[in-house]
Amino acid sequence: MSSLAVSPPVVKAKSLSCPNCGGPVELRGFAHTLSVVCPSCHSILDASTPTLTLVQRVQEAQRIQPMIPLGSRGKLENTVYEVIGFQIRDIVGEPGEGWSEYLLFNPYKGFRYISEYRNHWNFIRVLAALPEPTKSRGKYAIRMLGQTYTHFDHADAVTSSVLGEFPWRVKVGEMAQVDDYVSPPYMLSSEATPGEVVWSLGEYYTCAQIWRAFQLPDRVPRASGVFANQPSPYAGRTASAWRLWLWLMIALFGITLVMGFTSTNKEVFRHSYSFTPGAAGEPSFVTDPFDLQGRPDNIQLEINTNLNNNWAYFNFALINQDSGHGYDFGREVSYYYGTDSDGSWSEGKSRDSVILPNVSPGRYYLRVEPEMDATATPMQYELVVRRGVPVWIWIWLAALLLLIPPIFIKIRSTAFESKRWRESDYPPSSSSSRGGD
Amino acid sequence: MRHPLFLAYGLALIGLLGFGEYRGWGPTRANELRDVPRTIRDNPGAYRSHYGGYPRYIGGK
Repeated sequence: MSSLAVSPPVVKAKSLSCPNCGGPVELRGFAHTLSVVCPSCHSILDASTPTLTLVQRVQEAQRIQPMIPLGSRGKLENTVYEVIGFQIRDIVGEPGEGWSEYLLFNPYKGFRYISEYRNHWNFIRVLAALPEPTKSRGKYAIRMLGQTYTHFDHADAVTSSVLGEFPWRVKVGEMAQVDDYVSPPYMLSSEATPGEVVWSLGEYYTCAQIWRAFQLPDRVPRASGVFANQPSPYAGRTASAWRLWLWLMIALFGITLVMGFTSTNKEVFRHSYSFTPGAAGEPSFVTDPFDLQGRPDNIQLEINTNLNNNWAYFNFALINQDSGHGYDFGREVSYYYGTDSDGSWSEGKSRDSVILPNVSPGRYYLRVEPEMDATATPMQYELVVRRGVPVWIWIWLAALLLLIPPIFIKIRSTAFESKRWRESDYPPSSSSSRGGD
Repeated sequence: MRHPLFLAYGLALIGLLGFGEYRGWGPTRANELRDVPRTIRDNPGAYRSHYGGYPRYIGGK
């Protein structure tokens, strides 16, 4: 069987000579090309006539090296484009601030552009539709094809260097008023020259995407800063993080309810005592034993006293009478009140409670050793022991800790947007009035 | 799922604190005692509390 391979038509460039230096000049854009720059002497030539004519003589010491060489071919949006032109646009009054533009050509699709600013890229096509002015959050905005683009900045741009060929009469020193409107990852731009306003739509591309598309051999450079229409890695993530937080809070609330209903919270001991400070004899004593049942769980010891402008200290030991294992702890109880020139006051409480965590089941007793000032009046007090008391501090702590991720994401998102808008005519610290004009 | 780490963190946190609540974990700690002699029941004064024996004054305003 014979194979008839159908290869795509080979598009050949048209070769001419530079009228200034005689060097060879190639035209890749064919009849579309109106201007071409001589690669040898960098003179700008008129390509609309059968023979090239000089428009602008050699540009000053122009030795620019585009990151994507002229003649490179790359696949963007499933179409192969060839780089046929390159220009540098500087911002008037801001030396060193400017961007590069590459003119792409495909014989079937026509012209497209890619722009580069600090290694942020945009794939751009010129629009035929007329945008509709509007407002968005107090800023100028443009509505087009159902999408609102917020005004980002205004600049007077000047063409400072050109290479290759162009479908318009390009000139170094050509001025244009440029306005950018953003709706990441898209950017709508208007470029006004005397008698003409051109609207174009750019879509953000990363350096890596451009490098892949044009199969550039160099290492992918790193973009610096946040670009006007760079998509935020946090876009939509803040809202979804808060949604997830809400679901987790519902789960936490559910667990809290279950814990509340299932906690035993059972009184296992209650007894009243009295203590006379300075009395002869041993002040310490042990209580009757009581049972702590079930799984390892907490116990709560409650101390209710009749202290009145006085204090007491209790040395406690909760001891397992079978294993000799126990817990030693102390509690202060003090209650004072009175009146002075500021009015009535009170300090402390006549009751106190403490929770001992994770106490194994078994038969326990309490060793109690009260202390008071030797001259104090006798104290009546009651000790109450409860088993399996709910400790809500964990729930509050969990609720608090669950707030960390969404707050963190919100802060990062805000910082990203703040970085973006710092580069605009509407920096976050200033008012929403148009500041760049 | 846009936040797998947050979800894992949240579930781990809820699980841990739920388990802590179930086991009666608490923010307070007490000195653990080992092998307390059985004679303490008969002679409580023989035991010396870790917190005892210090002069104290807890006064009011």
